[in-house]
Amino acid sequence: MTVLEATSVTKRFGGLVAVNDVSLTVSEGEVVGLIGPNGAGKTTFFNCLTGMETPTSGRVTFRGTPLRGRPDLILKAGVARTFQNIRLFPNMTAVENVIVGRHARTSAGVLSAIGRGPRYRREERESEEVARDLLAFVGLGHVRNELAKSLPYGDQRRLEIARALATEPGLLLLDEPTAGMNPNETAAAVSLVKKIQGRGIAVVLIEHDMRFVFGLCDRVAVLVQGEKLLEGTPAEVQSDERVIAAYLGKPPEDAGPKEKKK
Amino acid sequence: MQLFMQQLVNGVVLGATYGLVALGYTMVYGIVQLINFAHGEIFMLGGFGALFTYTVLLPSGTPVVLALILMLLGGMAVSVTAAVIMERFAYRPLRGAPRLAPLITALGVSIFLQELVRNFYPAKSPRPFPQLIPPDYLINLGGGVTINAPKLVTVIAAVVGMVALSTFVRSSRTGRAMQATAQDPDTARLMGIDTDRIIVTAFVLGASLAAVSGLSNGLQFGTVDPRMGALTGVKAFTAAVLGGIGNISGAVLGGFLLGIVEVMATQYAPSPLSGGAWANAWGFVVLILVLVFRPNGLLGERVAARA
Repeated sequence: MTVLEATSVTKRFGGLVAVNDVSLTVSEGEVVGLIGPNGAGKTTFFNCLTGMETPTSGRVTFRGTPLRGRPDLILKAGVARTFQNIRLFPNMTAVENVIVGRHARTSAGVLSAIGRGPRYRREERESEEVARDLLAFVGLGHVRNELAKSLPYGDQRRLEIARALATEPGLLLLDEPTAGMNPNETAAAVSLVKKIQGRGIAVVLIEHDMRFVFGLCDRVAVLVQGEKLLEGTPAEVQSDERVIAAYLGKPPEDAGPKEKKK
Repeated sequence: MQLFMQQLVNGVVLGATYGLVALGYTMVYGIVQLINFAHGEIFMLGGFGALFTYTVLLPSGTPVVLALILMLLGGMAVSVTAAVIMERFAYRPLRGAPRLAPLITALGVSIFLQELVRNFYPAKSPRPFPQLIPPDYLINLGGGVTINAPKLVTVIAAVVGMVALSTFVRSSRTGRAMQATAQDPDTARLMGIDTDRIIVTAFVLGASLAAVSGLSNGLQFGTVDPRMGALTGVKAFTAAVLGGIGNISGAVLGGFLLGIVEVMATQYAPSPLSGGAWANAWGFVVLILVLVFRPNGLLGERVAARA
């Protein structure tokens, strides 16, 4: 079953076409990689999917329902994300960050909270349990009560994932989940993404670590200068000359010095 | 010594009014970085809302406790309505505009509300306010130090308001959403938080506390005046800055501190500079000193930081 269907998504900033006519389909429980040189429009494409940017044209549906406009409603529908530059709530503890992720799945209002009503208490207890479980799931159970800003970089990335999972997504968008990680942390990230997939959550990830992408993804799409160059299995993508050219530059026809584009 | 203690009590009472109003400044600032200079008028509207409830809506002979509760609700209704309308039509369209624009708008809203109430009650101002809690009912605090009943109510209201608010912000779902919005509004939206609603909530909570203060102010002094929000507003703003704007405990602490300094200076400052006429001047001297030596205020964090 299709989770995400993006059809001809285009985003223009003035004269710049950041994303040009990109379509992408993601099925239930699938892991899809989105690769491409810097500036290819990968993050802008994510922004269009999550409502941070409104696409100039094109259509995005999630489980058949069109997604439009407001980020909070898109999240409620079931699309969650993490960021390339980590965006945790720095002055909250790890567990509080994850509980904020529960916001869309809880509903006790102001009055109920002031009166400490039974629904408020039940929801608070549930949120705390969910948050504790998720922290354990991403391997951060031991730093539950540390402030987010005091966590090491790799832990912050995992905390962002735990917070995104707390929103009970059907689709999780990861923007460079291994950026700045050492090989051990990257290996842990591979198994974490597999565990997330095991929960039946589809994942789309932007990544520059090719071993990570090709080892993990069911399908890979390549974005170059805002356009989708091709899409296929890791093996197909890896062996495609156009991909290599996009990353490294084409050898010129005449015998000049090779120009590296990356 | 008895005089000193008595003045300390008086300072705490004055500070409680400042603190309650300061909470509204500090909360809104913490979340949208807007200094809502019309918040003093929300305090004034709370007083007038309570007065209107008493004179127009309540049948004579309503039991005092019931009357007070209904007046509080009436005052809150007026304050909250005004705050919500002001947020929706004056501030929200300017979100993301340079900071000066909403600031000037706030000054405009402030004058608008003052004139609105003045025209609504054209006859005579200040208006007399019913003395439902007898001000000559003195409670002895020991050593000859006394506090009258309406003042005691004000102090209790300020402390309860602060404790309730900071508990709410620290540990409720909406409170956490407020902290999240204060720390990073874009990410908060991506966590499914309707930030517009959270901002309205901050205005509503601030207005409710200001209404409590408006009512208790009327009970203390026996009058309400369309202009009473102007000076109280500036003082409460001072209190919020003193405590560290954006910081909930700081607002109340700043309020008490400012109240105590004003009262003490009135009593103990060297002769030509003492007396009630100088109280405001001394209050602002404290503000200037804090801004010079501790620009982030005494407690210095934002709501964001740690409620």
